[in-house]
Amino acid sequence: MPGLFEGFFARHRKGATLAALVLVSLVCLMISNRTLVIKPKEIGLSVAGFFQRSFTGLFTWFGDTAGSIGQLRAAREELAAARARLEEMDQATREVLELRRQNAALKEQLDFAQNLPPERIAAEVIARDTDNLFSTITLNKGSRQGVKKGMPVVAWQGDIEGLVGKVVLVGPGSSQVLPLYDPQCIVSARVDTTRDEGLVAGQGKDRGTLVMNYVKKIAKDNIGYGDLVVSSGLGGVYPKGINIGRIRDITVPAYETSLVLQVQPIIDFDRLEYLFLVGPEGEAPPPAVPTPASAAPTPAAKP
Amino acid sequence: MNRDFRTTISTVIAMAICILLQSTILGRVAIRGVRPDIAMLVLVFVSLRRGPMVGQLSGFATGFLEDLMNVSPLGFHSLLRTVIGYLSGLLSGNVFIDPFLMPIILAVVATLLKGIISGIVSALFGIESSGFITFTGRIWIEVGYNGIVAPFLFALLNLFKVFKRIDKEGA
Repeated sequence: MPGLFEGFFARHRKGATLAALVLVSLVCLMISNRTLVIKPKEIGLSVAGFFQRSFTGLFTWFGDTAGSIGQLRAAREELAAARARLEEMDQATREVLELRRQNAALKEQLDFAQNLPPERIAAEVIARDTDNLFSTITLNKGSRQGVKKGMPVVAWQGDIEGLVGKVVLVGPGSSQVLPLYDPQCIVSARVDTTRDEGLVAGQGKDRGTLVMNYVKKIAKDNIGYGDLVVSSGLGGVYPKGINIGRIRDITVPAYETSLVLQVQPIIDFDRLEYLFLVGPEGEAPPPAVPTPASAAPTPAAKP
Repeated sequence: MNRDFRTTISTVIAMAICILLQSTILGRVAIRGVRPDIAMLVLVFVSLRRGPMVGQLSGFATGFLEDLMNVSPLGFHSLLRTVIGYLSGLLSGNVFIDPFLMPIILAVVATLLKGIISGIVSALFGIESSGFITFTGRIWIEVGYNGIVAPFLFALLNLFKVFKRIDKEGA
């Protein structure tokens, strides 16, 4: 009997090696992913769904490409209108900045208690994903520099701070960030002007926009194109008030109670160089360990 | 040392260097965030030259390394690269690799195969990634990019003695 096996493996050495390597890969996938679709019908549905999505995606892509040529003319007119609007916005921004400066000065004069700013760790982007299937950003800071899993990551581009994503993997000297456009990245958010809440999720790099779901339909009349979407702070992962993007499209599904908003991210993910990892809100840098002498209350401190 | 083993080790090292390049400096020449998959092109080239055994072993080892570096589930890239290495190796000795046209065809077919296999594995295991799960714009950019890069890369790899085909007649 052993001779039979030896003979078989000698004859099919390449095929047997392939089967072994594929098996090892599949076992690793099952262990690390734990979401294998086991039922035959679901396997069929998954595989068929892949091809169906592929065909739909293919035709949509060609259709969109052809349609975009026709849209170019309309886009030129929109560009002229947008430029005029931009000038108005520039003026408004300058006024807001001036008001903020005045506000800060007045607060200081009134001696208001200031919240401690969240601790921030500056980091540099050193690598991206090894291929085009997944999307992670590798930073040059890790657990040795105080980086923790789940930390929100922000960046500054053109004087605007925007949310980039969150830390998903931490090594001693480097860490990996899952960007906002990844489908696994979900952020609790609100429309800044109307305070309507929803969940922002990535749709992949291909789409270029994020999607905001679960915004109540009654908010439709108040929400407009270009409205700012910020993090709401709910859930405790992302701090409140960090810019996410601006509303680019509003869809009202017929048989659903919520709106679907397409959000253009404020951050250009292809231009990221330096990022900031944000610690928990109000967390001050770690205090120095008190010595017994300094820890003992002084007589003057007693009432 | 067995020549196949030496070639496998050399291929793994070459592919590891390519993976590092892809994750760093090749990002500067990315089109809409898409970089050429030169590691896969190296795998296709070596598999064509040295057969399915070297191809699948090199693909598995490098894919495993890639899985350790990414957020992808362990086994994802190793499966992908094992199958591509094996299938490319089956063509070994059966196709004539001219300097221009065949590298382009092989690169295009291998990239499409990568898209199909990754799509099926993602669908079966419920893996969500931001890459080309469906055949939309990004995969076509990679197909084109790999096709352009392949003739130059194949010409470069031809210079290395370790990747030369073994003459079966023993000449």
